[in-house]
Amino acid sequence: MEKFNIEEANTLWKRWKLNAEKYPDKEAVVHWLAGENPFRWTYKNLIETAEKFSLILKKHGIKKGEVCAIIIRHNKFLYPLYFSIIRLGALPAILAYPNPRLHPDKFRQGLEGMSQRSGLDYVLTEKELDPLIRPLIDKQGSTIKNIFFPLDWDLDSEFDSALNDKIEKAADEIKFEDEAFLQHSSGTTGLQKPVVLSHKALLYHVKYLGERLGMNQQDKVVSWLPLYHDLGLIAAFHIPLAYGITTIQIDPFEWVLAPILQLEAVTKEKATMTYMPNFAYNVLAEKIDEEDLEGIDLSSLRAVVNCAEPIRHESHVKFIERFKKYNLNPLSLAGMYAMAETTLAVTVTDIGKPIKEVKTDRDELAQGRVKLAEGNSSIRICVSSGRLIEACDARIVDDNRKGLPDGIVGEVAVKSVSMFDGYRNYPEKTAEVVENGWYFTGDYGFKYEDEFFIIGRKKDIIIVAGKNIYPEDIEDAVNQVEGVIPGRVIAFGEEDPEMGTEFISVIAETKAGTEEEKNNLRLAILKAGMSIDVGIHKVYLVPPRWLIKSSSGKPSRRTNKERLIGNKDPQVWSR
Amino acid sequence: MISPELKQVILKQLNLDDFDIKDETTAPEVPGWDSLNHINIILAIEEHFKVKFKSYELLRLKCVGDLQKLLDSKLTKQ
Repeated sequence: MEKFNIEEANTLWKRWKLNAEKYPDKEAVVHWLAGENPFRWTYKNLIETAEKFSLILKKHGIKKGEVCAIIIRHNKFLYPLYFSIIRLGALPAILAYPNPRLHPDKFRQGLEGMSQRSGLDYVLTEKELDPLIRPLIDKQGSTIKNIFFPLDWDLDSEFDSALNDKIEKAADEIKFEDEAFLQHSSGTTGLQKPVVLSHKALLYHVKYLGERLGMNQQDKVVSWLPLYHDLGLIAAFHIPLAYGITTIQIDPFEWVLAPILQLEAVTKEKATMTYMPNFAYNVLAEKIDEEDLEGIDLSSLRAVVNCAEPIRHESHVKFIERFKKYNLNPLSLAGMYAMAETTLAVTVTDIGKPIKEVKTDRDELAQGRVKLAEGNSSIRICVSSGRLIEACDARIVDDNRKGLPDGIVGEVAVKSVSMFDGYRNYPEKTAEVVENGWYFTGDYGFKYEDEFFIIGRKKDIIIVAGKNIYPEDIEDAVNQVEGVIPGRVIAFGEEDPEMGTEFISVIAETKAGTEEEKNNLRLAILKAGMSIDVGIHKVYLVPPRWLIKSSSGKPSRRTNKERLIGNKDPQVWSR
Repeated sequence: MISPELKQVILKQLNLDDFDIKDETTAPEVPGWDSLNHINIILAIEEHFKVKFKSYELLRLKCVGDLQKLLDSKLTKQ
């Protein structure tokens, strides 16, 4: 296996240029389009097009250190555009394109909140969003200076060599420790936390994660993950392109409608690696017709990495059962524990070896102790997320952040050479979660035989299909619904075994009495969720003063969820 | 026009009593019809009408009217 030599090219642009010199005609990005021939960027073409974009960006006044939000759907020009921003020393930040169900005001509010927090300077987007975003520029206190539509730019206009030389000289002066790009850690609208990562953080991550995954020049990654998601951006975009291998990018919206696309891409391109959240294993295993699978051959896959939501044993079993006859190697399945704050991975299982699973006594585990299940125990199978990658450290701590021995459940604290430098413009939030160089993740887990197992969360974040959702966002939206008693709402996640993820439930206090009133209220609550692009699956309506308050005076999510689940309370209406 | 039978299958899958679904209605307008649920709605339609949709056929659908047309074409061939 080739060693990844950071010193050879110690910024992202230098690395990409080097790859273009070493492998000019090698495919860098295969831009997948359902039912059409994919567009194939070679390293050389990608660099040349990025240079053209950076000339235009420079002429528009974009400077080093400025943040450029990119809000563009699956488009072949997104990749060179992203490169070009980094070439200028500006910071790209890919944001989600608004889903049609998201209310325009909510989108604007979210972007405004993000712009103030992240200090967005420019928005690079599609013309269609102009009326939605432009009012933000004129708003008092806005950080956004301008909005551009790079997909409409004429890249074939005369190439200004002198300016290009000047930009290249400035790019040469960008340092290893300089900020490179910005990603948002989690959350839906106003609560996203901006994480700035340096060239150093990313390149060390490429080296150490690449080595653990056994990456080599023959690898090809297939991904449908959105690039605003850390798994998509780092694992399936940055790492392959820094390594000089090929990434095949599928439109996330097309994948949802036709998940077979992922398997077709693996088959046709002979891809070796793919990453996906747990729910996708269920979708691929159970939601594709057998006749659509004709001709599928997964023998090239050597790493199918489960990440971004808790790994479920049943999902892996279903996936292997369905695809072993399509030449899937069961040992290609792997697990990874990752977060934006450490660039991506902290631990990963050994590729090509069985994933360790521990059959624990469920009741003991609920008490925070790992005890192997015996004869009549209720069993919970915990799936390993693997061992630490090089230059990463992790430990399990108690509520006072003191270390716990192996086999005891606690919060996971991590340290990494690829650690973030704090949330941008958010020192109070950084101080909450970082202490003496350790990042306290809010995830619950345990260490067993040198491997880490993640089993839950200290925070109340709901993870639906790999997307982190803050219950506060949902509660704020539902609180506005007429008929719901303001401040008397909680949102939480419930296990969805069919889809291998969680679904969102809401408990709301109301005075609504008749069946018709309750059904109408439920519909209004579902619509409130839609307005912030959140799908509420189940609504529980309860009478006034039903919800139990926590010591802070607010209804407690955990206590009320426990009170509700498994108890048949005649006062509770649900649908 | 959306047939009452198709509408019923969709509403049942979404756990809704009623919702005004027209030809031009798109999935994001209907409560509960999100990307994850979309797969389940399609499977429910396939099961109810005993038809099979191809993935590429589904990618072309823009609204419920398109889905009705696709369904009708399958039923006619049977």
